Order: sequence, then C-alpha cells, then structure tokens
Amino acid sequence: MRYGMVIDLKRCIGCYGCQLSCKAENGTPPGVFFARVLKQEEGTYPTVNMLFLPVLCNHCEDPACVDACPTGASFIWEDGIVDIDPDKCVGCRSCMMACPYGNRYINDKPQHYYAQGQTAFERLRTGRHQTEVVMKCNFCRDRVKAGEDPACVANCPTSARIFGDLEDSSSIVSRLIKERAGFTLHPEMATRPCVYYLPT
Amino acid sequence: MSDSRAKYQQMLIDLRSDLRPQRDWGEGRGVLLVVGHFFVGVAAGGWLMSLIFASHNGLLLSYLLAALGGVVHLGFLGHPGRYWRMMRRVKTSWVSRGFAGITLFLVGGFLYLVPLLAPTGLWRIDSVPAMLGYGMAAVGMVVMIGYMGFVYTASRAIPFWNSPLHPALYVGYALRGGVAALLVTRALEGNLDQVNQLLALWIGVTVAVTLFFLLEIYGAQTSGNAAARRSVHELLAGRVSAYFYGGILLLGIALPAFLVWNGMTGPLSLGAMALLGVASAAGDFFMKYSTIRAGVHLPLLTRVGAR
Amino acid sequence: MNTATPEFAVAADDAWIQSSCSLCYGSCSILAHRVDGVVVKIEGNPDSVVGKGKLCGKGVAGIMTHYDPNRLTKPLRRTNPKKGLGEDPGWKEISWDEALGEIADVLRKVRQDDPRKLVVQRTTTVTAGRTPFQTFAAAFGTPNFSVSGGGQHCGNGAHLISGIMHASWSVVPDFAYCNYAIYFGASKGHAAGHASCSNMGLAADARARGMKMVVVDPMANFAGAKATEWVPLRVGTDAALALSMAHVIVNELDMVDGPYLQARTNCPYLIGPDKRYVRDPESKKPLVWDTVANAARPFSEVAAADMALEGEFFANGFQCEPAFAKLKAHLLKFTPEWAESISTVPAKNIRRLAKEFATEARIGSTIMVDGVTLPYRPVAAVAFRGNQGHMNSTYNFFAVDLLNQLVGAADVVGSCMGFNPASKGFPETGRPHYVPTPDADGLMVTGMWMGYHYPYPPSEPRLPKNLGLQDLFVMGMTSPFLNSIDQEELWQTFEVPYRPEVLMNFGSNLMMAIGNSEVVAKSLERYKFIFSFDLFLTETSQFADIVLPDASYLQSTDSRSNFPFIFSLPGGMGEWCWPIRQEVVPLDGEQRRFAEVLLELADRVGMRADLNAAYNASMNLQAPYRLEGDHAYTYPEICDLELKGNFGPQRGLEWFKEHGLIKWKKQPEEVYWRPFVDVRVPVYWEFMVSMWEKINAICEPRGVNIPQEYYDPLPDFLPCRSHQCQKPGFDFYAFYYRDTIHTNSFTMENPWLDEAAELDPFSYYVAIHAEVGKKKGLRDGQSVWVESESGRKVKGRIRLTQAVHPEGLGIAACAGHWGKGMPVAKGKGVFFNELLELDFAHVSPNNLNLDLCVKVRVTPVEA
Repeated sequence: MRYGMVIDLKRCIGCYGCQLSCKAENGTPPGVFFARVLKQEEGTYPTVNMLFLPVLCNHCEDPACVDACPTGASFIWEDGIVDIDPDKCVGCRSCMMACPYGNRYINDKPQHYYAQGQTAFERLRTGRHQTEVVMKCNFCRDRVKAGEDPACVANCPTSARIFGDLEDSSSIVSRLIKERAGFTLHPEMATRPCVYYLPT
Repeated sequence: MSDSRAKYQQMLIDLRSDLRPQRDWGEGRGVLLVVGHFFVGVAAGGWLMSLIFASHNGLLLSYLLAALGGVVHLGFLGHPGRYWRMMRRVKTSWVSRGFAGITLFLVGGFLYLVPLLAPTGLWRIDSVPAMLGYGMAAVGMVVMIGYMGFVYTASRAIPFWNSPLHPALYVGYALRGGVAALLVTRALEGNLDQVNQLLALWIGVTVAVTLFFLLEIYGAQTSGNAAARRSVHELLAGRVSAYFYGGILLLGIALPAFLVWNGMTGPLSLGAMALLGVASAAGDFFMKYSTIRAGVHLPLLTRVGAR
Repeated sequence: MNTATPEFAVAADDAWIQSSCSLCYGSCSILAHRVDGVVVKIEGNPDSVVGKGKLCGKGVAGIMTHYDPNRLTKPLRRTNPKKGLGEDPGWKEISWDEALGEIADVLRKVRQDDPRKLVVQRTTTVTAGRTPFQTFAAAFGTPNFSVSGGGQHCGNGAHLISGIMHASWSVVPDFAYCNYAIYFGASKGHAAGHASCSNMGLAADARARGMKMVVVDPMANFAGAKATEWVPLRVGTDAALALSMAHVIVNELDMVDGPYLQARTNCPYLIGPDKRYVRDPESKKPLVWDTVANAARPFSEVAAADMALEGEFFANGFQCEPAFAKLKAHLLKFTPEWAESISTVPAKNIRRLAKEFATEARIGSTIMVDGVTLPYRPVAAVAFRGNQGHMNSTYNFFAVDLLNQLVGAADVVGSCMGFNPASKGFPETGRPHYVPTPDADGLMVTGMWMGYHYPYPPSEPRLPKNLGLQDLFVMGMTSPFLNSIDQEELWQTFEVPYRPEVLMNFGSNLMMAIGNSEVVAKSLERYKFIFSFDLFLTETSQFADIVLPDASYLQSTDSRSNFPFIFSLPGGMGEWCWPIRQEVVPLDGEQRRFAEVLLELADRVGMRADLNAAYNASMNLQAPYRLEGDHAYTYPEICDLELKGNFGPQRGLEWFKEHGLIKWKKQPEEVYWRPFVDVRVPVYWEFMVSMWEKINAICEPRGVNIPQEYYDPLPDFLPCRSHQCQKPGFDFYAFYYRDTIHTNSFTMENPWLDEAAELDPFSYYVAIHAEVGKKKGLRDGQSVWVESESGRKVKGRIRLTQAVHPEGLGIAACAGHWGKGMPVAKGKGVFFNELLELDFAHVSPNNLNLDLCVKVRVTPVEA
C-alpha cells in the first residue's frame, strides 16, 4: 500500500479549488499552502498555452526531508504518507532545506488573515496547529482513513486529481500513469515522488 | 505581529517569483543559525589547532565558543526545549549527527579540560574520565568540523548548496577559523611562539579555501541550473554582494593577507595578530552568512514534462 | 465528510447542511460543515446536479467572507448630508426600528407621489435576490430596476440574443457530445458563472474525450489557456471574424443545413424591397415561396421542404426574395481578406476554421440518445461577455450564433444549446412546466425568462417613461442611463415626466461596477435618499443615507437559490435539480435577511396586498398555494408555498431543508426539444426595421441620432469608438475580463481569494504583449499609468506576456478598491472601469450595452 496522487494537467483549469479547499480543510495560516497552483505560459505568440500546475507535497518514497530531520518528527507511515509529528519538531527547518520541492512551511506567520484578529473559523482550525514547527500536506490522512479522498481531490471540479494505491497495478492511479505516461517533477532529485502528472 | 505580517508580505513576493530566495536560514531569527554555525566551526578548528600547537587557553576558548555556539543554535529553534530529541536520527540526519557531535564534544571536552586547567580537581588528567573525555572531544571535534558542509550538501532544495564541494569548504573554514582563534589566543597571551608557522598555515588554508570557493562558484554558474546561477548572481552582484566584497574579500582576505605579509616581512605586533585573527574569523562569518543567504530554491516550474 | 448525512442533524454541534453557495451567481450546491456553531468547511454537494459535488476556489473560500470582521452588524445612518467621492458619511449606529421607520416614511411618500421615482438596484451575485427585489419593485409600482455592472456589461447582448435564438439566458456547447467548439470572448466551463462547477467537469470531460476547443479572444487565459487553438484577434472585432466565417460557409463552401433553415428559421420568409416580410393580405402571415405550387403562400401552410431559400420572386406586387438569399448576398462583402484587415486573424486561418466548423457539423446526421433519434451537429459557436461588451454588442453576439444556425447546430445533440429552455416539470406535479412557443409569425418566444420584458417579441417603442429608456430602446435590458453623465439631458429630451429620488440598493457596488467613478458618483449624488443592503461598507455605501447589515448566504434560507432552470442548471442530458439555500449559522449582531426586511418594509409602507399579488405573479403560484389578500406571510412561509406549489403538498420548506434538493431525470425531448417544437428563430431580424422606424420617429425630432446601421436585419461589423481613435501614442485596446478567482468587486475582500490572486500572474496586473512592452522599454512588474483618450487614468503594474494580442491590454476583474470598508480589497488590482465613459455616445444604440473597450496609452509612473 503506497498512497499516491495523479494530477491530470489536461483537465486542470487553474480554478484554485484545490488550493482553497486544502486551506479550508486544514485551516492553514497566511502564507502556508499545502497545495498551490502555479501558472506559467508556454510558447510564443500566437501559439500560446498556459500551464496550470497544482503542486503539493509529493510524499516521496525516498523522502529527503525524513532523512534530514534530526528528531524523527518527519516520518513516513506504512501507507506511504509522509507526515510530521508536531510534538517532536524543534523547528530547525532542515527538512525545508532538504525538500527539493519547497513544499514545507514553518508556522511562524501571522495566525490570522484579518487585521482584527482570528475569526471563529481560525480559532478552531488554525489554532489546531502548533506554531514554530514545520507543517505540510499529509494527504488529509484523517479523511483517507475514514474512506474519503483528500480534500483537494474530492473538490476538484474537473476531476483532475485522482488518489489511490500506487502499489496496486489495477488501481486507477497506476493505470493512468501507465496509459498516459505520467511523470514526476524533478526526478533527478532522486526522492521518488508519489505525485504524478499526466501531460496536457 | 507586524513582524510576522512583514514576513508574510515578503513570502507572497517571493512566491510570485520563479526563483525564490531562501530566507529561513539566515534572516530574522535565522541569523542565529549562522552565528551558531560560525562559533561551532571556529570552536572545532580552534580545538584542533590548540591541540597541535599545545595551547591550553586555545582549548578553553574553543570550548567556550562551542558552548556558546550550542546555545545560539538553540536560540534559533522554534522549540528549544525539545533539543534532546535531536539526538534521535544520527542514522540519516546530518543535523542530528552534528548535534551528537557537539554534545560529545561538550561532555568530553569538559571531562578533559577540568583536570587540564585545574589539576587539583576531582579527577586527574591521566584518569579514565579524562582520557575518555579527550577521545570524545576528538570525535566530537571531527564531527563538528565535518557535519556542517554535509548539511548543506544534503539540502536538495537549494541547488547552490547541493554541491560536493561544500563539505570541503566548511572543513577548510573550520581550519581557518581554528588558526584565527589561535592567533587571537596567542595575542591575548602575549605569546609570539611559532607565529610564522601559524601565518604559513593561515596562508595555506586560505589558499585552499579560496580555491574551493571559486570552484564552487564556477560549478554553480556552469551547472545549467537557474537557481544556482541566481545564487551566484546574488553573491557577486545581488542581495548579498556587499557582504561578499566587504565581508569575505576585504575583511576576510585582503586585510588579513596584508597583515600576514607584514608579519612575514617584519615583526608582527600583538594587536596586529589579534586583528588578523578577528578579521579572518569575521570573513569566515560573512562567507557563511553570504552563502546561506544567497541560497535560492530549486524552481518547481521548469519546462514541465511532455505535452 | 463528502456525503450528506441522511438524517438531518438535530444536534447543533456537528452537522453537514445542504445549501447553496453565493460567491458568484452560479449558486452551486454546497454542504456546509458546522461544528460547535462554527462553519469549519464548505464542500460541494455530490447529490446535486448544480456543481456535482465540487466547488471552485471561491466557493470553498466562502467561510472567510462569512466571518469577515469588517461585516456590518448594525444599521447605520449618515450624519454628514454631503455626498461625494471622498466625503466621510459620518456613520452613526441606529436601531432597525429607526432605520425601517425612516425608509418606510420615504417610500410611502414616494409611492403616493410617483412610485417610479424609486429605483431598485441589485447585485447579480446573489441570484436569490432577484425574485424578492423584482417583486417588491413590481408591487411598489416602479419599472426602474437594474442589475448594476453585472447586467450592464454582459447582459444586454449575451442574454438578449441567447433568449431570442435559444430561449435561454445563455448558451453553452452540449459538452457531452460536442466535437468542435469555438468560443468567442467566453470561458464556459473554465471560469465562473452559469452552472460553473458543473460545466467545469463537463468541459474537462469533453476536452479529454477529444473535443477541439478553439478560443477567439484577445487574451489566452482561462478557456484560452486550455485551447486546442487560440485565435487572438483585435479587441472588439468578433463580428468581422464570425461574419467572414459565415461568408465562407455560405458562399465559398456552400455547406449549410438547408432543411434546418427551411423548417426552423425564418430564412424562407420572403423579404420585400422595404426589408420587411411580404405578408399575406388576409392572415398577415409572412409569405414563403412554395416551390411545388410555384406561388407565394403563408409559411404555416407550406411544407418546410418545399420552401425556397433562394431565388427572386414576385409576390403581392413586390419584388422579393427569401431572407436566406438576402443573407447570402449580404455576406459576400465579408471576405476573409477583409476580415483579416479588421481583426488581424489571417485569412487562411479564417477559411480553415470555417471549413473545420462546417465539416464537423456533419450536416444531415442523426444520433440516438436514450432511444430517441435526434439531429446530430457536434459543433458549437458560443459567445459571452467579452464578445458582446462593445458598441456593436448585438451583432457581435448574433454573428457568432449565425454560425450555429447556418449548420443547424442549435439545441440539438452536440450543438450550441441554451440552458434548459424547455421543461416538462416534476413528474408528479408537472411543474414548473415551460416550453418555447411560436408567435403569430412563427418565431420563437421563450417559455421562461428572468427580466421584465421578454427578449422577443420586442415591445413597442414609445416615448419613454422608464428612467433607463428601455421602453424606447426596447432591445435593451439593463440601462446605463441610470448613471450616465448625460442622463438629465436625455430625460429632458425625451420628456420623462419625473426624476429618480430614491435608490434601494441590494449589495451592488455601482461606483466600481459600471463606469468611471466620477460620473457614477454624480448620478448617486442626485438621489434624495439612498438605502443599501450590504455585507460591508463599499465605495457605493458611502453615498447611502442608511445602510442595512445584510445576512450572508450561510445565514439565509431561500427556495430559489438558483433561478430554475435557464440560469444555473447545467444544460444537456442528466437530471433536473432544484436545490434550496438554508441557514447554517445564526445571524450576528443585528444582521437581517434582505427578503424578510422587504416584507417588513412592505407592511410599513402599507403595500402588503400588492406585494402578495406580485409574488403570486413572479413565482407563478397557483391555488391552493397562493398568497391571499394582505396576510403577513413570513419569507419562509412564502418559500414553503412556492415549493409545495411546484413539488406537492408534502414537499414544502421542511422537506427541502431535510433533503436539500429534488431531482428527476431529464428526457431527451426536453434537452433536445428543438425538433419537437415547431418554432423558428430569426436569422433575419425583420423586426429591427419597424423598430428603428418607431424609435427614430421619437428620436429624430428631438435631435437624437439613431444610426440605422445598428438596426439592419442582418449583422454587420460596426467599429467601436476605440477602433476610430487616431490619437498618436494611444496604441493599446484596453479591455477587462472575468477572473476565475474573483466575482465582480466582491471577492477581493476575501483574504484567501486575495492571497491566491496575489500569487496569480495576471489577477492584479495589466497584461500587455511581451515584445510590444519591451519595445516601449517597459519591464515586467513596472508601475504604469493607463490612460484613455479622454484623460481618465488608472495605475497598475505591467505583466509582459505572450498570451495577449499585440494591440491588447488586459486587466482582470473589477478590482482597485479605494474604500476603507473593505480593507483586504483596498489597493488590490486595477480599476479598469475608471476608463469607461458613461454617455449616450458610448452605448450601443441598439441594446444599450456599454462600450467596454478603450483606446489607451501606457506611460511609466515616475518613481
């Protein structure tokens, strides 16, 4: 069992649904994006397209962040999800330097978006997170354990995100990767990401 | 609060750019990390030089610097109270190894230094604890000299650091820091013994370090990696160029080199010797500061995959 | 949790509640998760067809809009009598009793004096606001109703013509079956709006299936970003391109759907030398040429296949020819070479696109859907805001739809479709039931509409009594004359017998949404009294006398969160779905729900009986679910009656609160209704001839010039003001476009959305072509002034990009707030509308759409 995600770049329309449903699900503070959407134009006029690239923690098979962590706060579950135990984190940020994808964030930002202070939502949801430790996507592990998809996957209006077991060759993620030549970001970094992209 | 607001605004600006500068180590509280690294590096090199040149004061200074460095490191952490956990991952984590090394050094160094500096103490210099201490401190010292560079090499997020030259560079700087520490110690002692050997050593280590540094910059510039090239740009003409030229070149090389040349062609005053050491060490600090702050994240969006 | 809990949770501490979003007018269905009285998550409702369980970024971010600490919680009264840009209203908190007391006094006096002096304005964002405000206005007795910028900028063309040609509010490709879609200034399925999240899924499936998506747009963002082929063109020249393609299809390729044109359009109708139908002297029906009988006969008496589409004939003493022949000849001048010179689209591309479109239309083919054999035309040419936001609004949009009509790709399988123009209603009750019907001339009248007057047949122009002059310019829906600089002059010219005195504003921010702030401010200053329902203090609230704190969508209940079904229900096969909105959390402070406030106002004014009668009409309530006399129904009671009236006595509000929505399967005859209903659409807009004569008869003697070229029955390319600008240095056509992350001027205040926009490469920037910008010495991120020929200017930061036409200058959304009441929004983005002139000269003399492109020059801001 190794959880992984497939993101279909042909389908993605850059609506930011994933970035925001992740923010809502996790109550991340300002400046922390467990999921983000990057946009870049490709081509020269008049043959131009825009690439919409949703990114998130790749939950690598060989995570540089877990190796780098001195306390064992960053660890990998038996199902492949890479997670952080906030109680063990000292906030040294070595993992942030180790992750080639920059998908980790230190929680030293303001804990609320509005100048007036925390909203009721933020008190409940942002307040769950310890400050001065590193935080990141954990594939919505609680949802997954309850039989649901991660928030970003469940919400995507174009069904551009699919979640499943990469070690099961008959799973939809495995099949899509095979059929459509799924690729990972920066494979040369040798962390063996488990988030695959399907080409446009 | 406005401080974290400012950090947030900066983060938004950074996230908008293709090549995002690394700010976690080296800015704001991150400066403490650089300071800590600096002290620990000097301490380790200083311990080695002090052993070679048999300087008890040097050993003491190095020990105090190591302790200071440790405390400053803790000051950088988000949760310093959990520091003891950092021992847990020596198998994979260079930071963990470094922590283990510093701890070994501080414990071992204490065991060794007590009888050395206060011979009428609880245990003697040739006792088991002292000998053990000597050994532990030696191991700790080796780790301290070596681990930092590897921490940077293991940082795949920052292509500029992600070079095999980094450990060599840090070892070199530790040695250079050690020579500087010893020069300062001798200056404070009023002791001009073996000054020429020290100066020669300084020249040798500095030449080696300069070579490594140039190789590293060259490697980054020709790597084909935009983030690495941007880091070189930051260093030579960007955000940290003032520290590069003023700190590393002027303070760390030109001024000490001038003093060394003076010292080799004529008498070297104690003041000059101390200045030499301090300037050289300052240059080392700025070298670490600049290269850390010049770090630029590997961009996620390079021409992505097949269409 | 992603699935709705079947038992409606009674416990208040952990519940998922089915409701509807309101961050844009799409009103996708939501599941709101409330824990210990706090909304902690908003997700789509997978049970609902509206959204299909998904939400765009805005929908998910609704939590932060609801919990915005800048929201109003108490009614406010202005103490500074002066109104103007920069005037501090001097707000003082008052009680609801005081507020409504004063408002009711004002309204009562106005109603006694002349109810038309009340202008009712609402935002398009809250779809559920339509019925209560429109009904109130009707009961009050005022025809002066507006939907601010949302309607002004995108409605008059798109909705008018979608209504005339497709009996619906808007058009969309039949994604499930379409193979080739051409988008003109539209982003259906790639941004927000009608059936947005559902369309996103449908469009993605279509593209994954292989549907080619050609996007004609000055900028390659949203739909353009994902296009199979992006066709950049000079801003505002859509008609030139579309007409040229039509010319190629008709005159070069000769690939038209003759049988469709014969049976389902007015193409065979005989047109005389006066450009009008030649009519049967007795029945007055338009004549066609019966090729079998070899005579001119009324259209209703001739088999479609026997109707001539070409030829010259003699009928009723007139030389005449079928409308199609006129069209064919008319199209001759729109050669691809000509179109290239106007639009910059290469002629060979124009020919290729026309050929691809006509070929893939597979004229004559059929397909079986759910056992029913239907015409199959898997191509669609769709247009929306960008295309029709010009002087030539009507023809720009019409010319695009002409492509569909020529190949028979109208409301059949795979083609350009209206959203649900026909419905048989809920099987148990047969309601709501509606279907287009033919008028006396056989032309289609829509079965369902959202405005006052139906798009077709147009009303009789008259000396106007409406402040917006829509009863004179009868093709116009939303009017700029409620705010234009020359409104007083026009009212005097047309002898409008009264002036506006009171403005009731529901949430719209006209100061930003319509045109330049200086002119809009002047129009607001002339009101004697303004009261506004708002979530926060906007730039427009600053002109109000009383501001009322509105409830958010999470605090409201409404039986009509989506207007059924032509507005937000996805088109195509699937299911009918009627969701509601219901409260998730209680009101804060003294916030109140607008629908309930309107009822109380009606009571205070003493017009409850009229309001009840108006609700009966607008909701089409039938006995026994009608409002009686002047009984003071609560809003939930009214909602309850509407739901029971449509879905049966056991399915009132309580049933809907438990189930969230009702669904039933669509039948092919409902979705692809065209072959089953004998209506024709006007390819030749004959009604324009007499319309112009009548309008001109009123205008010309009063010195108002109505150019006849805007009223020709056949579409033409007519340049915008910007195309005529010769001023040196002014070499960009500035335009704005909808941003997927934002709705009007509303969502920049939502910090999650603002944050996403800050990181977006375009949202808050001025996009110009990279090479053009570099030649001018401009750098990416540089601060510049964008200035119109008349000297209006806005400041913005440059984004150099390949994704825009070299002459284009693209600004996203309706941003650039300056007010203090929305501090997150303040200073973000660029205020494009400041560049827009608001006067008769910049309005389509046909459908009153504002000309939204501006010739500008760009100069760096001095440091």
